[in-house]
Amino acid sequence: MEILVPVWPAAETPRPPKTRPRLLAGATIALVDDNLDIPFTTRLEALLGERHGAKVERLVKPSGTAPSPRDLIDGAAGAHAAIVGIGL
Amino acid sequence: MNLVSESLSLDDYEQAVELFFERGWTDGLPVVLPTRKRVEALIAYAGRDPQESLGPVPPKGGEATIEKLAINAVMGGCRPEHFPVVLAAMEAMMDPAHNLNGVSQTTHMCVSLIIVNGPIARELGFNSRDGVFGNGYRANAAVGRAVRLALWNLGGAVPWDTDKSTLSHPGEYAFCIAEEEEDNPWQPLHVERGCDPGSDAVTVFACEGPHSVFCYGTPEEMLHVLADSMCSLGNNNMHVMGQTLVTLNPLNAEEFAKRGWSKQDVRLYLWEHARRPLSDVRACGVVHEQFRKMERDAGRYPLRYDLDNPTTRLPVTQAPEDIHIVVAGGRSYFAAVLPGWGGFGGFAVTRPVRRPGR
Repeated sequence: MEILVPVWPAAETPRPPKTRPRLLAGATIALVDDNLDIPFTTRLEALLGERHGAKVERLVKPSGTAPSPRDLIDGAAGAHAAIVGIGL
Repeated sequence: MNLVSESLSLDDYEQAVELFFERGWTDGLPVVLPTRKRVEALIAYAGRDPQESLGPVPPKGGEATIEKLAINAVMGGCRPEHFPVVLAAMEAMMDPAHNLNGVSQTTHMCVSLIIVNGPIARELGFNSRDGVFGNGYRANAAVGRAVRLALWNLGGAVPWDTDKSTLSHPGEYAFCIAEEEEDNPWQPLHVERGCDPGSDAVTVFACEGPHSVFCYGTPEEMLHVLADSMCSLGNNNMHVMGQTLVTLNPLNAEEFAKRGWSKQDVRLYLWEHARRPLSDVRACGVVHEQFRKMERDAGRYPLRYDLDNPTTRLPVTQAPEDIHIVVAGGRSYFAAVLPGWGGFGGFAVTRPVRRPGR
């Protein structure tokens, strides 16, 4: 008997991740603010910048429960590293 | 029929059933094998182009083509005549207002309930009476499971992967009811929501499982119990509003109607009385408070409630219209409330069922 496969074909191999920066100092870090825990995210932003010398680009999602808009993803992709998934 | 899915040639039934477990293509239960013949029968009945897509299914974005949905519907146990209901449910879930991406991935335990309205419910044998949320009816079970399998196989909504629900919900296997329209004094849900009387439609709403409400007596007595059950401090609605669902049984509805209560009267009363003083809500702690503030800052929480005044009585939803009322179940003492996900989404969306030849 012929059985049909129920899943969508796997996507082509995604782009390999960038090499992680060895140091935070001087690196550009995209901090994706999920709008779920703003005080925590603000504290993290301050620690990354003030204590570790990173250049932080805070990108704010309109809602923590919906997908990131394309331009936000593209913006984060331009940084040396991105921090995502900040919630409670 | 031009189908493009990869296929496997298998001669052994047992081996084929086990293969679905090995490949992660099923939800923990065996499936009806999606043979080409069965899949083609569903697509032919619906009269849709197999390569038409309803869009990418979140979170992983597999395309909801008619072909892939038919494969999953066969696996769930659907007959061809069930398939248009599955398609309507998928169309409704993929409306941005429902935020299926969030519903599928939240840590909360909501699942999208499918509510079937119109003549199709009776014709296809959907249960709307005794045991409505339970087992025993092929139409409810097959349509409900078909949709869940599509979310599993196309959306990749799999626990321990993208489905982050910490306790989850038995409705992850199937969560589908019909509204009782014959033994019901009021306008059915889909007509309230803009569909023509006598038409077929599906409404989806992401919610917790049914909470039993011992609901009997005068309208005021029934409403007293319902209102109290709706504004439990443990549900998301009480902290971040959103929408909620009340299921009244046909006897409840009859008692209300006999005493001159319309469905809207019931809704307005519940909205006015399903409230908790802010001091009660505040006693839940700072995390709840933080969520409330977050929702208010995002414009999803009504500013008219003074969150600095402890005597403020907070309603369970932002507006009366956010309380959905459905008549279903056996004529008895029991109603149910099904709290929603809160202001984050899962909101009710209604879509017509496109039956061939009508």
